[in-house]
Amino acid sequence: MSAKRHTRLLLTAAILLGAIYLFPLYWMYATALKSGSEIFAYPPTFIPRGLDFGIFAEVWATRDMGRFLWNSLVIATGSMALVALLGTGCAYVLARYRNVWIDITLFLVLMLQVLPASLMITPIFVGFSALGLLDFPRFAVMLAFTAKAMPFFVILVRATFMSIPAELEEAALVDGNSRIGAFALIALPLARNGILVSAILIFMQAFGEFVYSKSMIQDVTLQPASVGLNGFMGPNTVEWNKIMAYATIYVTPILAAFVLLQQRIVSGLTSGALK
Amino acid sequence: MLSRRLRNGYPKMKRLLSSVTDGKGFDILLVGLPLLFLLAFSGLPLLYNVLMSFQEVDIFSLGRLIRPFVGLDNYRELFAAPEFWPIMWNTVLFVVCSIAGQFTLGLALALFFDTGFRGSSFLRGLFLVSWVMPGLVVGAIWNWILSGDFGVLNYLLTSTGLISENIFWRSDVDYSLWAVVLANIWLGTSFNMILLSVGLAGIPKDLYEASELDGANVLQRFFTITLPMMRSTIGAVVSLGLIFTLQQFDLFAAITSGGPANSSNVAQYWAWELSFRQYDFAKGATVSTLMIITVMIAAVLYVRSTRHEVRI
Amino acid sequence: MKRLHILGGSVTALALLASSAFAEDVTISVWSLDKETQPAYNLAKEFNDLDNGIKVDYRIVQFDDVVTEAMRAFATGQAPDIIAVDNPEHALFAARGAFLDLTDRIAASDAIDAENYFPGPLNSVTWDSKHFGVPKATNTIALYYNTDMFEAAGLDPEDPPETWDELVEAARKLNRPEDNVYGIAFSAKASEEGTFQFLPWVQMTGGGYDKINGDGAVRALEIWKTLLDEGLASPDTLTRGQWDSTGTFNSGNAAMVISGPWELNRMVEEADFNWRVALLPVPEEGAPRASAMGDFNWAIFANTEHPDEAFQALEYFASQDERLFPDFGQLPARGDVELPPTGVAPKDAALKVFLEQLKYAKARGPHPEWPKISKAIQDAIQLTLTGQKTAQAALDDAQERIDAVLN
Repeated sequence: MSAKRHTRLLLTAAILLGAIYLFPLYWMYATALKSGSEIFAYPPTFIPRGLDFGIFAEVWATRDMGRFLWNSLVIATGSMALVALLGTGCAYVLARYRNVWIDITLFLVLMLQVLPASLMITPIFVGFSALGLLDFPRFAVMLAFTAKAMPFFVILVRATFMSIPAELEEAALVDGNSRIGAFALIALPLARNGILVSAILIFMQAFGEFVYSKSMIQDVTLQPASVGLNGFMGPNTVEWNKIMAYATIYVTPILAAFVLLQQRIVSGLTSGALK
Repeated sequence: MLSRRLRNGYPKMKRLLSSVTDGKGFDILLVGLPLLFLLAFSGLPLLYNVLMSFQEVDIFSLGRLIRPFVGLDNYRELFAAPEFWPIMWNTVLFVVCSIAGQFTLGLALALFFDTGFRGSSFLRGLFLVSWVMPGLVVGAIWNWILSGDFGVLNYLLTSTGLISENIFWRSDVDYSLWAVVLANIWLGTSFNMILLSVGLAGIPKDLYEASELDGANVLQRFFTITLPMMRSTIGAVVSLGLIFTLQQFDLFAAITSGGPANSSNVAQYWAWELSFRQYDFAKGATVSTLMIITVMIAAVLYVRSTRHEVRI
Repeated sequence: MKRLHILGGSVTALALLASSAFAEDVTISVWSLDKETQPAYNLAKEFNDLDNGIKVDYRIVQFDDVVTEAMRAFATGQAPDIIAVDNPEHALFAARGAFLDLTDRIAASDAIDAENYFPGPLNSVTWDSKHFGVPKATNTIALYYNTDMFEAAGLDPEDPPETWDELVEAARKLNRPEDNVYGIAFSAKASEEGTFQFLPWVQMTGGGYDKINGDGAVRALEIWKTLLDEGLASPDTLTRGQWDSTGTFNSGNAAMVISGPWELNRMVEEADFNWRVALLPVPEEGAPRASAMGDFNWAIFANTEHPDEAFQALEYFASQDERLFPDFGQLPARGDVELPPTGVAPKDAALKVFLEQLKYAKARGPHPEWPKISKAIQDAIQLTLTGQKTAQAALDDAQERIDAVLN
């Protein structure tokens, strides 16, 4: 088998695998464009019969999606910043030492994430309300989500720092730099890719945050898109095409940004910047 | 007097300051802040759960900490419930099968894309889609795909002749748990693949070359080089996978609601159901506490796996 | 002195002026599940626009989240002033003093008269013979059937099934699996909906939530099992709610469906066949009738700072009850409201049946631990229908659990 044919075979296989894997995503787009009765048709139509793109404009306008998405953006950005701010240093120290205290810290960081948000929300709600944090509901969600997402970030970024030779920093220290200096001038720039990529992954998760927002943000003008979507999913729904249209508008911007950035994300994660 | 205090105090402060910029204090500060944050916003809520599992709680004493203490009664009643063992068994099945599925698929895909053919990195990127989609949306889509009477999965399976009549994925006690496992594997494969890709990329290529010269075949190389070198990555992936799987809640809520007859109920969903459907918060907290203990064991395993990490 | 007096006077006048013109409006918060097209959303808005010094802060809470959100808020002192709560869950709050006792206010009110309300709904807001709320609307369930399919199957649309056996027989005749048509649709979901649909069957045989394992109840559950085992109803009956089940009826995939008046508007719009509504079939000819009683109640939280303003809002909502059906397709929970014909023939005919059926509607509970009782019933239904237990054994277990709650 020639090398070229080999490549083509692999590529075909990859595209086939991708197609299977991406089917649920395709199904979301296809359902959004179907009419009410076509959705329930059996056998299902794989390509929607009449393409009515007007549904997107309609859903956007009737569901106030601009405001909802803005709130999602605020929450996601805030959470990402908080996670990166708190998590990077923690990951750095956890990567630089190897002793029982580090073990305990790692253990705690992982351990504290056992329960799903749906079980954590009651104590968090009670605590936040005692602290008066519920008066700043979006900030409260950022805090709660940051606590939830941090372990994932720490573990990813810790791996990045592990791959940066400690000798580089030691050299900097010998040159008269302080620890802060070595961290800020040597370690951080080298780990930049891994941190950035991990932060983006956190951003994407925060963009879809639902459980905390639903309970803590009672003012509809501050609610994110996930709560808005839930608002018309309810038990009594037939508007599946509208739900999917909403989901499409919700997901597509992140997806588009993702596809544009993905070369960098994936290579940032795999090119040894992150180990 | 004053000057002496200044003389004595100043170096102390300086030492503290220099420790923060240049010594142990720096490390403690970097780890301490986030750890305090986590203890406050995750640790205290967990403790609240553990505390509730020993108390009698009703919906109006939620805001309090002092409630009637009942010892191990909640645990006793829970163990005695007829659904306890089936649900625990479901949880084990769900966790083990989800992780096995995600990991195997993730590893296979990672190895596949690691061959580095043209377009591989672009296509690998597309696989991260499941990470990007909000849980709510994923749940709704799968609910839709798995529907018994007009679901597209049944259509695909019947039209390719794999099954002769529709499977009621959500309503058949023999399939309901597997419906959620299927959706969860789909959801988790991408994150397994990407972390494992990262691990693969970190293995020095000359190791393979040397081994190839020694005449080792693909399988031998996989078992003698790839797996041992990936040990720490695999440890991280599996423990994160365990945590994500135990946290999986959206899919149950969207697809089966734990039913029918608890056939797809798992600990995390049951805990929620007890707390927020029957308003039995103490029992819900008891199930949560059992989960905390399980994950503690897993966390110990993960931390031990990091001991073998190889530093470059 | 005099100047001072004048000055003082004008200051007072100014203050008075200020207090009347710039008086801080009282804001009351209202939580309800109603969306833009439903009554509470619109009534709250109208009340807000009345310009009577009371502003309304309206929040939509999803059906599934009402109790959870409410008690979390109540436990932390953040409860709303007014809430709409599902009727079987009313006692959960009322019995614990979380809701304000409205007995005296209702007695003194011109807009709300307890005697006008149907006994079932009124019973659900009552605890310890005091009124802790006002029924918001009411509903019940009956049997919808597709008359076109009846004719095609050789059944007489004028003579819908009246007993359980006739119902099963009709379902058998109407069942056409080759065309993806089920004989009947209903909901046996493991949620309040399952209890809502099953309890009337038990009540027709003289049982109730406190006596769930009688022979009649066992027979009812066995009939449900027959419907599923013979494929007369979709296996998804176990996991599908009433709204989705009725969706399959509307799309022509089920010939009959057991559901409520909340479906009328949708059915008029969607169903491209002829349909009618009949009373729920009874165990045998001459057996007593029963049906479920659904829908929400209004309540005021006990720790409200504005009980008078909140009650004023409830009075306004009640005063608009005659619009519930024409504007929003919901049934008022009282007998003194005339329901004018809508001009849509099948809808008007159906309404008559539902009003008749409503006479036999029975409240679930009231009991402060209703969710546990309901859960025991749901478990029995699911265990039987999935074949893990016999109807008798499952209902015996449920009875045992219910007894533990009741005693």
